[in-house]
Amino acid sequence: MGHPILAPVESETCQLTLENLSRFPEGSELLSCIQCGACAGTCPYGDVMDYPPRRMIAMMRAGLLEKVFASDSLLSCVACYACMAKCPRGIRLTEVLLPLMKEQTLTHLPELPAELQRALQSTLRYGNPMGEPSRKRAAWVKTAGVPIRILAEDPRPADVLWFVECYTSFYPRGQDNSRATARIFHALGIDFAILGNEEKCAGECGRLTWEPGLFETLMDYNMAVFQKYRFHRVVTSCPHAHNAFKNRYPALGFNWGLDHTTPFLAGYLAQLKPLLRRKLSYAVTYHDSCCLGRQNEFYDPPRLLLQTIPGVKLVEMVHNRVNSICCGGGGGGMWLDTYFKAKGYERLSERRVKEAVATGADVLAVSCPYEVPRFEDALKVLGHDKKMIVRDVTELLAESMEGNP
Amino acid sequence: MHDSVRVGVYVCHCGRNIEGTIDVREVAEYAATLPGVALARDYRYMCSDPGQELIRQDIRDQDLNRVVVAACSPCLHEKTFRHVLEQAGLNPYFFQMVNIREHASWVHEDRRAATVKAKDLIRAAVRRVRLHRPLERRQVSIHPDVLVVGGGIAGIHAALTLANSGKHVYLVEREPTIGGHMAQFDKTFPTLDCAACILTPKMTAVKMHPKITLWTLSEVARVEGYVGNYQVTVRRKPRYVLEDVCIGCLECIEACVYKQAKVPDAFNVGLSKRKPVYIPFPQAVPQVVVIDPETCIEFKSGRCKKTCVEVCADRKAIDFHQQEELKTIDVGAIILATGFQVFDGRRLPYYGYGAYPNVYTALEVERLVNAAGPTAGEIVMRDGRRPRSVGIVHCVGSRDVHTNAYCSRVCCMYSLKLAHLIKERTSAEVYNFYIDIRAPGKGFEEFYNRVAEEGTYLVRGKVADVYPADHDGRLMLQVEDTLLGMVRKIPVDMVVLATGLEPQADAQQVRRLFNISCSTEGFFLERHPKLAPVSTFTEGIFLAGCCQGPKDIPDSVAQAGAAAGEALALIDAGSIELEPNTAHVLAEACSGCKTCVPMCPYQAISFNETEKKAQINEVLCKGCGTCVAACPSGSIQQNLFEDDEIFEEIAGVLEYA
Repeated sequence: MGHPILAPVESETCQLTLENLSRFPEGSELLSCIQCGACAGTCPYGDVMDYPPRRMIAMMRAGLLEKVFASDSLLSCVACYACMAKCPRGIRLTEVLLPLMKEQTLTHLPELPAELQRALQSTLRYGNPMGEPSRKRAAWVKTAGVPIRILAEDPRPADVLWFVECYTSFYPRGQDNSRATARIFHALGIDFAILGNEEKCAGECGRLTWEPGLFETLMDYNMAVFQKYRFHRVVTSCPHAHNAFKNRYPALGFNWGLDHTTPFLAGYLAQLKPLLRRKLSYAVTYHDSCCLGRQNEFYDPPRLLLQTIPGVKLVEMVHNRVNSICCGGGGGGMWLDTYFKAKGYERLSERRVKEAVATGADVLAVSCPYEVPRFEDALKVLGHDKKMIVRDVTELLAESMEGNP
Repeated sequence: MHDSVRVGVYVCHCGRNIEGTIDVREVAEYAATLPGVALARDYRYMCSDPGQELIRQDIRDQDLNRVVVAACSPCLHEKTFRHVLEQAGLNPYFFQMVNIREHASWVHEDRRAATVKAKDLIRAAVRRVRLHRPLERRQVSIHPDVLVVGGGIAGIHAALTLANSGKHVYLVEREPTIGGHMAQFDKTFPTLDCAACILTPKMTAVKMHPKITLWTLSEVARVEGYVGNYQVTVRRKPRYVLEDVCIGCLECIEACVYKQAKVPDAFNVGLSKRKPVYIPFPQAVPQVVVIDPETCIEFKSGRCKKTCVEVCADRKAIDFHQQEELKTIDVGAIILATGFQVFDGRRLPYYGYGAYPNVYTALEVERLVNAAGPTAGEIVMRDGRRPRSVGIVHCVGSRDVHTNAYCSRVCCMYSLKLAHLIKERTSAEVYNFYIDIRAPGKGFEEFYNRVAEEGTYLVRGKVADVYPADHDGRLMLQVEDTLLGMVRKIPVDMVVLATGLEPQADAQQVRRLFNISCSTEGFFLERHPKLAPVSTFTEGIFLAGCCQGPKDIPDSVAQAGAAAGEALALIDAGSIELEPNTAHVLAEACSGCKTCVPMCPYQAISFNETEKKAQINEVLCKGCGTCVAACPSGSIQQNLFEDDEIFEEIAGVLEYA
């Protein structure tokens, strides 16, 4: 005689949807919401959303979800995990409820914002949101200055499969990160290889946006490619890919070791130290990416790496670590800038950059490929581009390695 | 022996509790067919007087010599029915209880299956009870003295209650003074009476009481023995001041070579400084100074001018050579009143405690508003300004799965009290940010109403973020006002965190020392949440105050009174009967391997070196059975759990009907 709302799940393969949500533990957690508003209070767009998570849950309990779908407010969710990190009931908002709600919101929209639609279509057709041809994905390799093995050409087993990802393959400033990473891996003597043109976007933003179908297509594709080769672990430059590999791909049998470049390199601190010879006299402030920070609690590894660079002085922004403010790029926000602007929302990258500039630092260090274009753009818009530069942690490490034999 | 066994089986309905799920009539009819059973009955309430009389009468009229009652948990009524047997002239251990309520009717929905299970359990009990042997309870005398650990309000009240009834009490306190957290508070909710005014008379009474031995700067180091006869070793740390010689004139503090006080003062939660020689607060008990060897120059260099000794002159109260002492005392009962610690606000970095100087904990504000505090009762912030607006953040470190999932029970009320006091002293705008206001005590709701009417802003929402507001040095509180459904950013001068209550950092060590249990959150566990709220699972050890869970002063005092009452009931009985379900070594079979010795959680097993055999002190043995299971040669047996009894029970439950 179970309580109807908590009826047991009949089938293991049963997909979690909004209708059957309360039959999963992740869903029945929602019933424990105490309506404290910590989610709305911490949400970077909490002040502009019609239905931040608290009100969404209240509407859901009252059977009024249709009203929530009729509002487009959920498009502003940037999947930053801030609400989830502070929810006193530990409700998995960003992981479960918000993507499901977004999917519904999207189907209710008369028209998808054009910029986003283009990015999602391009990801489906070309495996990257920029719509660049997939046969040029590995073009940057020639500019790296160190040998990089591509598995399709040389399928010998490798220790590390480096999953480069899209912005770091195509976008010129992203390639700086890739070149730096390649040089560091090479200098550390790491046995690594990449998938080259066979690689496609891991798809995390598709899932967190509202396109589970797109995400599954990419997941199937990448898993099939992974299974062609032999390697011990996957290291990726993209926290979003890391997130997908860690939380979603295991369902399809992803059981290799996994790391993001920053914590991975922090594991080589002792070997890196003698290589970092060039003094960089910068004051650096570090921006915690949402997926790397709140989602994985990698707060210390990037800071450890930065502090190992001679001359670097680390300063903190007001919002740091668990309290970091999103760059605005997650959950599809990367392709919604025009849409947000039309709505009159403040750009989160600008909010973040103001805090960074206020520290007086010379460099804003990041660990996520989305953040470089977002912050560089925001610095230009706000007129701070002379005062502050944006660098990935790996770029700073490589810069300090310069001049080594 | 088996031929003469006549078992009576009684199946209880327990109203609908059992009868609702189990066919009790069918079970009784089945039981009557079992070998050795002389009669079986079902009855509405076996524990009622007529139910008990039924058994007594059957024992007399039907010549029963074994009884099985199938009813609730033996925790509840095993004693009742054993007593019934005793009254009818049988040995009380010719009895076996079967739990068909908690183990069958309450946990099953299928009536058929539950009925079959009840039959299986009863069959097992009938087979086992036939083998029961007569056992005798052992009497031990009880030492009349009591140890109270912790000198906060709970420990003080328990000690005074016991001492007033003529018992000798040892009150052991870790700090240099008694008084605990209550001594740090300013006013108390909801009546706003001054904490010191109501506490200090009791502190003085402790000091003056001829029946109380007060040991401050002392901790329990070792506990041995058993209910009624505990031997407790107390470590008395040196004060470097002779307690019975010092008259508390405080001239040594004035004379100390440190002209400026430099050491953070723990009593004022670090908001003021003290010297290496100090008295925690003006009404401290004992009214004696203490020297802190960590900061005193004489201890660090050995070359101090010792102006303190000079000024003390002929009194010679200062003794730099005082050593730690170990004292062993005999007590019959122990009351633990070890209190709580305040949640560390740094664990929630987004509230800015430790990062922004004008973020305070509630305990710090208690000291600020206190006339004897670091600012003589003026509410002055660390930057020297007086706040014109104050935000009080409720539920910091409480009701949150990331910190403590439980409600700390006192924060709502103390937050309202601080709102009142701050408003009264400063006329500042005061905001209380709450999730729910919990005001369930006497006069609490009325106080909540009063504070609301005074104009405190009550905002319903959990504060999500505290950060510096632009330019003006104020702090921004970001919160969703859930009643308005909008996110608000409210700038204030001062933020007060209503930090919750946590188990003491060393609660686990203390738990092991006294051999008691903790609940999941780490507070000491009471024996029963409703019916034995101050008892523990270790006989003769009782709980009082916040070491058992967060509670306010009235509840702490009430619990301390209850713990004292329980201790008195135990002691005044003069002696106690110990259950005979203890283990014993079959000496001829023991190989002397010593496997059992370290396994006993009660230190009841010793090794006889001359005979090379293990020995069990039956007074210390609690009958847990660990040694019985551990003995490789099977040479330890336990009364009521002998091998043949257990095997017979297993065979019984496995035998298909």
